[in-house]
Amino acid sequence: MDNEVRHTVYDVTMREGVPPSAARVAETLGTTRESVMASFLRLAEARMLVLQPGGEILMAGPFSAVPTPFEVSVSGYSCYANCIWDALGIPAMLDADAVVHTNCADCGERATIRVTGGEVSGSGFMHLVLPPRLWWTHIVYT
Amino acid sequence: MLYFRSEEDIDRWCSLWRLERGAVLPIDLGWKLARAWYSEDRRDPRWRRRSSQEVQSLFASLGLTSDFWRVT
Repeated sequence: MDNEVRHTVYDVTMREGVPPSAARVAETLGTTRESVMASFLRLAEARMLVLQPGGEILMAGPFSAVPTPFEVSVSGYSCYANCIWDALGIPAMLDADAVVHTNCADCGERATIRVTGGEVSGSGFMHLVLPPRLWWTHIVYT
Repeated sequence: MLYFRSEEDIDRWCSLWRLERGAVLPIDLGWKLARAWYSEDRRDPRWRRRSSQEVQSLFASLGLTSDFWRVT
């Protein structure tokens, strides 16, 4: 069940750029929303998804279900990433060209980073406050 | 994990928020890390999260070997 749910979540997300609702996954798999919500919870406990307080998906890494400062144009759609690393992770996962639109977290200057043919162009830096051993303890802050 | 235009911006931001400077990656290294981390197909039923050892090896393959990158 959990493998099927994860497959459906990523199948929809990779094609459309937004993680699906539990109801949509349930309809696709011919099961109940409640059973999908329970699966979401198990996948979150296994650190494969991050959920919103109500139990719907917040993050199906590298994709975000809600708007963020990291907008990615890729594969004919625009979507949101959870952080700058994930913004680059979307074209990596899709093996596609992409344009990342974001801003400097300090000065606010608009920045555009392009991924073309497997190469990245653009300047700037990624800053990680927390070390990897703490990422999942504070996943939203990370 | 935030984006910054320059290292000076990172230092100013850390000072403003009273945070220690963490790890800083130029965007091209960030892209290599993203490719290494996310290139596997998560639709595949055989996909699983990497073990701590595998994550450590992935970081090391990109030269990320400081204590900051220690997984456990």
